Amino acid sequence: MATSLWATRAASFLRINVPCRGFATGSDVPICYLALYCYEIAAAFIDWFLKDLKYADSHEWVRVEGKSATVGITDHAQDHLGEVVYVELPEEGSKVERGASFGAVESVKATSDVNSPVSGKVVEVNTKLSDSPGLVNTSPYKDGWIIKVELEDDSDLPCLMDPERYTKFCEEEDASH
Amino acid sequence: MRGPRSIEIWKMGAVNYLEALKLQEKLASDRKTHKIKDTSLSLQHPPTFTLGKRRTVHNVLVSEAELKAMGAELHYTERGGDATFHGPHQAILYPIISLRDIGIGARKYVENLESTMIELASLYGVKARAGETGETGVWVGRRKIGAIGVRISSGVTSHGLAFNIDPDLNYFKHIVPCGIPDKEVTSLQKEVGLGQKLPSEQVIHEQLVSCFTKIFGYTDITWRDKTSVSSDGHE
Repeated sequence: MATSLWATRAASFLRINVPCRGFATGSDVPICYLALYCYEIAAAFIDWFLKDLKYADSHEWVRVEGKSATVGITDHAQDHLGEVVYVELPEEGSKVERGASFGAVESVKATSDVNSPVSGKVVEVNTKLSDSPGLVNTSPYKDGWIIKVELEDDSDLPCLMDPERYTKFCEEEDASH
Repeated sequence: MRGPRSIEIWKMGAVNYLEALKLQEKLASDRKTHKIKDTSLSLQHPPTFTLGKRRTVHNVLVSEAELKAMGAELHYTERGGDATFHGPHQAILYPIISLRDIGIGARKYVENLESTMIELASLYGVKARAGETGETGVWVGRRKIGAIGVRISSGVTSHGLAFNIDPDLNYFKHIVPCGIPDKEVTSLQKEVGLGQKLPSEQVIHEQLVSCFTKIFGYTDITWRDKTSVSSDGHE
């Protein structure tokens, strides 16, 4: 179960669409195995890449490197939002607080607040999102990052979820529908 | 298996836009802190033009002074969506509900709001449909009968939908409705035929609420007459 969920995230991360053909002829079989092999390699890479992320229950992710943190919204969040047409970014230099809104995204005539998983000062915003808000959908963990924060301290991090806990959280949330 | 879903419907009659906005902010704050359960306001506004978070003022084709002269107000909001008009004979629903509690996101929520208005139109034999990508709302052919603009904060909704029963459609000429040019706006009265008498608006408001509660799976519905409620929620 966990592998298939990570594989889904891998596909989303890399925007891979792996054709799944039936084993119709002998010549098809090696191609299908090769595709599957590449897919599994990619999934393992993404597993390694994403495992360093922490997650908030409002579906934002954060990657911490020393005193610096990068924040975005998760693949689960972008999927539930629909096509993002606008991202409201905070000012560089403004303060963010864990659990509080720092900006918003608009999709399908709905603006949704984006909350910060950590407290600190905004040192950089992803200005590419002004012209290309859809990066939040197509590359939520990479090119669709939203802000970079200089952390006040790391005391917020234990409150956040690790990847496995977040995956379970999403399953429970979707099951309640 | 989930338990019964409860909602309280406030029947409010005609309410000034700003008063309704302040009330929604209070209710949304109370809903976030679990002081209240899911609530929805059912009301209409006096002539009011509104813009969404993106402040697309270029879609308002007349000056604010001219809008005032025709007896209308203009308000800037934090909802999604573009320019729109609200006025008498338009049924509005502002659900203040927790999407986290029902496990859906913005896309599914808006789809359900579209389905609510499509179902209401179908009660009168009007075949409406959801908009194409980028044209969220409810359409009859190329004519828009229902608009949507929503705000979601910490998983709690505010603003909502507006369904045209029989508003004065001339007001829409002063904006590019929802930022989509070259498309008409229509109403239930126009679609059933101007000679056809519709039931009272109170009935249609109640039907809109019933369609909403059915589509969202609410089974425990409490109606409250709040025609004398102020913006801080007190009567």
